[in-house]
Amino acid sequence: MAEPRDETSGTVSEPLDLVRLLLDEVVCVKLRGDRELKGRLHAYDSHCNLVLGDVEETIYVVDEEDEEDVKTISKKSEMLFVRGDSVVLISPQTVSF
Amino acid sequence: MLFFSFFKTLIDHEVTVELKNDIQIRGVLKSVDQYLNIKLDNIQVLEEIKYPHMSAVKNVFIRGSVVRYVHLPANAVDVPLLEDATRREAANQAGKGK
Amino acid sequence: MENGAVTQSEGKDPSGFLSEIIGNPVTVKLNSGVVYKGELQSVDGYMNIALEKTEEFVNGVKRRNYGDAFVRGNNVMYISAD
Repeated sequence: MAEPRDETSGTVSEPLDLVRLLLDEVVCVKLRGDRELKGRLHAYDSHCNLVLGDVEETIYVVDEEDEEDVKTISKKSEMLFVRGDSVVLISPQTVSF
Repeated sequence: MLFFSFFKTLIDHEVTVELKNDIQIRGVLKSVDQYLNIKLDNIQVLEEIKYPHMSAVKNVFIRGSVVRYVHLPANAVDVPLLEDATRREAANQAGKGK
Repeated sequence: MENGAVTQSEGKDPSGFLSEIIGNPVTVKLNSGVVYKGELQSVDGYMNIALEKTEEFVNGVKRRNYGDAFVRGNNVMYISAD
């Protein structure tokens, strides 16, 4: 099954290799339910279960009356386990708007 | 198996489990299994006014699939050890999704 | 469906199509309706996807850029070669 691969190289031969290269880096994680996390990636597995350190969570809440009015709630956590089934996207922190 | 082993190292530590229905339960981690089902003792529900139906409950079994987050005590986590274990797990898992 | 640059995919299975379009610009639509456009780095059997130079569109409006992006396969509705 496993393809010949060099564990130390920076090549991306399967999608999770991209996540492997982000270990101990600050990452941005998009979750189901309009949530985002920014924190340092300390662990992951093939289900996308994660452990993040120094995390900031942002929750986007859409106003029931006025759908244009989106509020954000921000929460902090020192060390957070995230269950993989909520994960949508993982990227390096370098995000431009 | 990585996170099963990881949670076993956190047994007897206080954690806060946040469920997908937004309820947060703080308690002492008493056991965990391969599905990441969790048993908590001495529990306390955050925002009890909003969720009063749990106030008489002392311990819970939480099905792993309803968990969104587990907030962990940072001082109980050996970060370099965890990152090494993750690299080892990644090397074992490589190519399995093909 | 129009294949554009990718014309040799007749008779191949769906995962053959996916491996053929690696390195090409693609559009990925998620079940939530969010769309990602980028260069397809890799795909696996769960339809996990790695994209490069990714743009995110919500309701057709561009929201952000991600250099690289890993998308968890269960959220994917389709992958299309641009």
